[in-house]
Amino acid sequence: MRFYGLMIVKSCMLAAILVMLHTGVTYAQGDVLPDTENCLLCHRYPNMGRYDKAGNKKIYYVNEKMFAKSVHGKLRCKSCHAGLDEIPHTNVKKVDCSSKCHIKEPSTGKEFSHENMVKKYQRSVHGADSATNPKKHPEDLPTCKYCHDNPMYRPPRDIWGKSEALSNETLARCMGCHTASQWAERFYAHFTHRMRKRRSQTEVVRLCTSCHEDQEKMARHGLESIETYKDTYHWIQVEYGVENAPDCFSCHVPLGYSAHDIRPRTDRISPINMTNRVKTCSNLGGMQSCHPGATKEFATGRVHAYGMKAQLMAAKNNKNFREEQDVTLVVERAEKDFSPEEVFHYKILKLLRLFYKLLIASIISFMLVHQVLDYMASRRHHKSH
Amino acid sequence: MTEERVISANKPNEKSDHKKRNFIRLNFNERVQHMIFLICFIILALTGFMIKLPEDIVSKFGEAKTVVFYYRGILHRIAGVTMILVSLYHVFYLLFKPAGRRWLVDMLPKLKDLHDMLGTMLYYVRLREKPPEYDRFYYKQKMEYGALIAGATLMSVTGLLLWTEQMWPKFILDIAIIVHGMEAILACLAIMVWHMYEVHLKPRKFPIDNLWITGVIDEEEMMEEFPLHYKKIMADPDLQKIFVQQEKEEVRRPRRIFARGSQ
Repeated sequence: MRFYGLMIVKSCMLAAILVMLHTGVTYAQGDVLPDTENCLLCHRYPNMGRYDKAGNKKIYYVNEKMFAKSVHGKLRCKSCHAGLDEIPHTNVKKVDCSSKCHIKEPSTGKEFSHENMVKKYQRSVHGADSATNPKKHPEDLPTCKYCHDNPMYRPPRDIWGKSEALSNETLARCMGCHTASQWAERFYAHFTHRMRKRRSQTEVVRLCTSCHEDQEKMARHGLESIETYKDTYHWIQVEYGVENAPDCFSCHVPLGYSAHDIRPRTDRISPINMTNRVKTCSNLGGMQSCHPGATKEFATGRVHAYGMKAQLMAAKNNKNFREEQDVTLVVERAEKDFSPEEVFHYKILKLLRLFYKLLIASIISFMLVHQVLDYMASRRHHKSH
Repeated sequence: MTEERVISANKPNEKSDHKKRNFIRLNFNERVQHMIFLICFIILALTGFMIKLPEDIVSKFGEAKTVVFYYRGILHRIAGVTMILVSLYHVFYLLFKPAGRRWLVDMLPKLKDLHDMLGTMLYYVRLREKPPEYDRFYYKQKMEYGALIAGATLMSVTGLLLWTEQMWPKFILDIAIIVHGMEAILACLAIMVWHMYEVHLKPRKFPIDNLWITGVIDEEEMMEEFPLHYKKIMADPDLQKIFVQQEKEEVRRPRRIFARGSQ
């Protein structure tokens, strides 16, 4: 095994040296970090990859220029991929975003790390901190990479080309002193990225629903799936691309909250906790004041949660319904979550909907029958004349 | 058949030589009310059901969808307010104008309507030779009118509730959303099934009954459709002044816009 590995490495080296001779000029240009760790010796080949035991395709190819343009373009490989000392890489550790990455934060001169965010995240509903936040199925939880897909292929121009405030004119002022285009691509892009939404409203909804619409997965955690959001007027505005339309973040991560720190609604910090609802719905001082005159009665209602939980609560005594699905966790949570008043409301709404369906069906079918008879009768009448 | 159609279209005055009387079914005021209500209804239905469109159709609007959505909201509100105003005027008209009060009295449901309905059903299933004789409004029109009043009231109230959403509890708004949506479906279906048939598809009316523009029907139709009312008018000179159209007007407003086949 070792022998073959060495053979591969050797042949790779030979090939790499040949190619390096050919493309050596580009290395000297400075927009790409010199590969001092020599990882690209092998990882620069597009065909490099394998299938793991589960049959998933793993690509180990690194496109140097694209990597240089990505948010982590200034980092060495080993800053994140710790323990890459052996070849083949048998002792490799999983990337830990909370580790220190040996890049100095310019204002303090200290080593930079995402540790703060990661800690916060582990305490949030999505985190899997075993001490504070034990979870039955930690494998379902989204990792950093699930949302931060690190868009290597997104050209930096896209960032300041879209908004007037972040126009090329502003950039031109900076470029007066910071002459290198590298600066624009790195720092300007980094700052201005925080001035706009990372994702459009539709993309946010798509990201959240990619897990939260999965009924089975949600039931494992005692949650209900949230396709009910798409019944709301909030979603219709998002669908039509209205500016500042309310997506998931508008209510669950409003002004002053972090997406990394989403708490359950029972937590007093949560923006959808009953004590914070008026503030969340009015959203004064945000990008848009949504319901500026919101009263407590308006704000404390269910926005899109009259789904499965309410259904379960209404059918609480129906044992068959419980046995059909593995929803015990959901029922447990729903019992804490739903007041009898809300269950009553749910039942009324359900009855009302049923009443209207029956009403429409009966009235319209009566009308249709009446019309057909009338048509036949008037034809008969006119024929006889 | 086709030739006859053309000929009758070219000679609209041929029949009027016989001094045929036209009967007023809708006066000018009522026609204007109907026209405004009709336009509002269509705008409201189109802009309202837009938010129920499936996702893939919405995406076909492309970049324009935001603009479309903006004007959709504004148009829906303008049409809604106009419809409420027309409805309020109609109530005023019913109570304070002589023609309106006559309308109200004739429109009130009576025991005769039940008899008429049973009689008509029997006639439909050939258990009766002739349909019952209708007065000025018959049971179907009364039902439609009642449904219109109930529907307009519910739609106005729930619409205003949704417009001023932040003042109300969410539960009230949930009810309003259901009622507004379901009532809209009911109203549109009812209009399509009954009213459209009545004025467009009914054998003698195709392609369109011009009553909504001219406001009159001819004597033949009057005798056939509302025989009791016809008899009442012919027996009472006062009613004749109101319901029989004067000669002058007849020249100005032709009875039919579209040519109709021979009868």
